Amino acid sequence: MMLQTFNLSKRFGSRQAVKDLNLSVEKGQVFGFLGPNGAGKSTTIRMLLNLIRPSSGSFELLSQNVKSSGQKIYSRIGALVEKPDFYLYLSAEKNLKILGSLSGGVDKERINAVLEIVRLQDRARENVRNYSHGMKQRLGIAQALLNQPELVILDEPTSGLDPEGIHEMRELIVSLAREQDMTVVLSSHLLHEIEQVCTHMAIIDNGSLIVQGSVEELLRKTDFYVTEISVDNPERAFNHLKTEKWVKDITLENGLLKVHVSVEKRPVLAEFLIHNHFKVFSIVPRTSLEDYYLSLLKTRHG
Amino acid sequence: MLVLIKAIYFEILKIFNRLRTYIGFATIMILVPIIMYLAHRFGFEVQDQALRSLGDSVIFVGTLVNGLLVSYYLMNVLWVHFPFFIVLVSGDIMAGEGAAGTFRILMTRPISRFQIVTAKFLATLFYTFTIVFFLGIISIGSGMLIVGGGDLFVFDKGILILSQNEALFRFLIAYLLAVIVQMVVASLTFLFSTITSNGIGPIIGTYAVLVVSFILSVIQIDALDVIRPYLFTSYFDVFFAPFASPIPWGEIAHKTGYLCCYIIGFYSLSLIIFSRKDITT
Repeated sequence: MMLQTFNLSKRFGSRQAVKDLNLSVEKGQVFGFLGPNGAGKSTTIRMLLNLIRPSSGSFELLSQNVKSSGQKIYSRIGALVEKPDFYLYLSAEKNLKILGSLSGGVDKERINAVLEIVRLQDRARENVRNYSHGMKQRLGIAQALLNQPELVILDEPTSGLDPEGIHEMRELIVSLAREQDMTVVLSSHLLHEIEQVCTHMAIIDNGSLIVQGSVEELLRKTDFYVTEISVDNPERAFNHLKTEKWVKDITLENGLLKVHVSVEKRPVLAEFLIHNHFKVFSIVPRTSLEDYYLSLLKTRHG
Repeated sequence: MLVLIKAIYFEILKIFNRLRTYIGFATIMILVPIIMYLAHRFGFEVQDQALRSLGDSVIFVGTLVNGLLVSYYLMNVLWVHFPFFIVLVSGDIMAGEGAAGTFRILMTRPISRFQIVTAKFLATLFYTFTIVFFLGIISIGSGMLIVGGGDLFVFDKGILILSQNEALFRFLIAYLLAVIVQMVVASLTFLFSTITSNGIGPIIGTYAVLVVSFILSVIQIDALDVIRPYLFTSYFDVFFAPFASPIPWGEIAHKTGYLCCYIIGFYSLSLIIFSRKDITT
């Protein structure tokens, strides 16, 4: 197990930020930690990284209890917590040299390698003061990868990036797991980001865990697959389908039908349309994490 | 241990990569030679005061003023003025990391909170040592170059004449003791810096404590005798002690002991506070 929490809780005065959180992340997963703003994601990550002391509960990193194994375990972990802040009066290279040295030492080749991964090698000797937010974010990833960690914890890594930067960042996260055999824990409030990047996820709200599991299984189990259909007479198809019992929900937007049916009923849907003499231009199954997520929150908040 | 040594090195590197660190050095470098030049060019009021206090009992031929005498009087800046250069750097050493958010990248490394506090504290003491000795070197060096060398006349409860070499030895001890005095200021600022995430707060806080303690230490009210031994400023005059004859080693040891207790106390408090602190910035 790469990460496991046991009833992890944090209270700030009268506010319960995180309550009895039990997470488990296995090797090789890209684990999405999802929740609305203020749900307790950053507090949890800060507890895992020893920035905040838990009020109760415990956690293990790389199957080791941090309390007993001490700070040494962090030499095998890379992290980026919220916005990346560096020593602005030092160059990127010097910042990495300091951080690498405190992680047990990294050679110049490794510093160059991580700078190359995040495409900052040409500006490595420039003071970080002159860096844009996107460049600092990339440098943040570089410092997280510096000591070739087994577990990478990234808190909102695409925050503040431009669309191209977001795309690159997501590709990089996926490649860390696939090509470099790293386990990635990614916190985000962006649903589609989790959907695109993660293999597993946990949803947290008001400091409590709502659900966790593999992204695919959670969507399948909870039946949040939407089928988008384009037919020759959408209004008529809409009226026909909404009376069928196996159709859980249906909407018509801009001539496109969005039918909510279980995966097993998808062939029935296709058969139904053909049987009723509709010209079917396309049937596109889509998962909707957003629907799932919103339904979970809606259930919780009544 | 190796991590701690590396951390100390990098903390010193960080201190000396910041512009504010050089404000003190630049001020000393510019101001002290100017004072020496003015003393040389336009005289030194202290000489007249000293001669007046002696009345007609002693006749001096020539001048008492030399670089060592001006340096001796210049040491008075160590009471209240010079600590500004100390608090300017030590006030920011912990709070600055909190405000800048750099604790987040620093503390996700395999370095303990004890090591972070200790490395920063020792780096602060190193800066304190450096700048105090810089004042000493520039003060005595420029004094001897501009005003000239010679015997040092110390007017305190009488007159003490020290040969140039003896005076230089006394200055060395005095500046070592001044380092300890300034380390108390640095430790107090460091403590305030640990509590807050704002670089200005520790500077104002330390000066408030320093000025109030200083007033309470020197004001001659009997009722204050009870608290005076507990004020660190009551022992700040230790750096003038080496200019007595014979050198009061017992008094120096006593006062230095108290000052060291304050340094250790402020460091320990900083360590306890930081160990329990949640990094939320």
